[in-house]
Amino acid sequence: MSGRHAEQHIHTVEGTDPHIFVEIHEPAAGTDAGLRPILLLHGFSSSSKLNWGDTGWITALQAAGRRVITVDLPGHGRSASPEDLDSYSPSRIRADLLQIVADAGARPLRDGDPSSGLDIIGYSLGSRLAWEFGATQPELVHRLVLGGPNKEDPLASFDLAAAQHYLADGMPIEDESTAGLLKMAQLLPSNDLFALLSLIEAIKGEPYDPAEAVPHMPMLLVAGDKDERAVTMPELASIASHAGGMVEQLLVPGRNHSNAITSRVFKDAALAFLGV
Amino acid sequence: MAEISFPLPDLGEGLIEATVLDWLVSPGDHVERNQPLVELETSKSALELPSPQAGKVIRIHGAPGDTINVGEPLVVFEVPDNTAGIVGTVPKDDVPKRRVRLSAVLDED
Repeated sequence: MSGRHAEQHIHTVEGTDPHIFVEIHEPAAGTDAGLRPILLLHGFSSSSKLNWGDTGWITALQAAGRRVITVDLPGHGRSASPEDLDSYSPSRIRADLLQIVADAGARPLRDGDPSSGLDIIGYSLGSRLAWEFGATQPELVHRLVLGGPNKEDPLASFDLAAAQHYLADGMPIEDESTAGLLKMAQLLPSNDLFALLSLIEAIKGEPYDPAEAVPHMPMLLVAGDKDERAVTMPELASIASHAGGMVEQLLVPGRNHSNAITSRVFKDAALAFLGV
Repeated sequence: MAEISFPLPDLGEGLIEATVLDWLVSPGDHVERNQPLVELETSKSALELPSPQAGKVIRIHGAPGDTINVGEPLVVFEVPDNTAGIVGTVPKDDVPKRRVRLSAVLDED
């Protein structure tokens, strides 16, 4: 169940290994742009394969000569589902990510060296993690692309007790957002539901407060214009720009939170934004 | 020249249909094998379908928003006569890629 992999990172943070599944995707042959690696962070109830592989992102980035690091979050995809709650806390995940990208060869930014530093593309929950990672790692992170971003984490208001009742004895869930998120999680048989609930519990313990730590590197915010989970994107943009950062926003016409991810408009904008 | 019709492949997981989000090619375009053809959405996820072969696109089926059933025509290619016969076989030098499948199944470990 833990899906161990040859490239799994070997250094542990705080003495325990959460068995996070990592893959490195090298640039397409003969295209190496000589630019820093790009870390991809997927959303809740997704995986690196579903969020970035099947959607064409990894091949598009490789074709543009970029080196790509993908990870499956704890309880997702081919990563393990640790039993301890701490493995799911956003702060612990960020610490593990820092170790993973260092092991993958990402180095602190140096003036005049385009191969130094790290770019990050996140989607949904992955955008929250990218925001916080950028805010806490200014020496490392060069630019951020945040897809389907939100000022408030929808997982923070998830009704955990109602979900557990529902799973135990089928009692209907009143809260619409909670019911929707749980339904999404149940759609994929590969999801470990109890691990996902642990992740939600850990997230509720460390709620997202984007104003508390603001990334100062340039960022591109992208959402479908029908994305109800990202309606607060302009507020997020204003938090970043008030802190002095350069912020661009892009709305993808006709797309929502589930299907903005494959959009060529999104990919082309991200490639251009990170191609410097 | 011969025409080859490429139907919407098996989606796995009991999925029987997909909705077209956007075509990335137009009739008349020449496409390479594995070049992205179309963005699709199922009840489980959105994905990009790569071309199963090289050739000239003659027809595409389904406008954005239209639903296509598994097995129904998705795209028709024109290919030289002498290559039409091998379509549907797997070239020896290229192992089928997992991402070509429309399945949402992850590794069976």
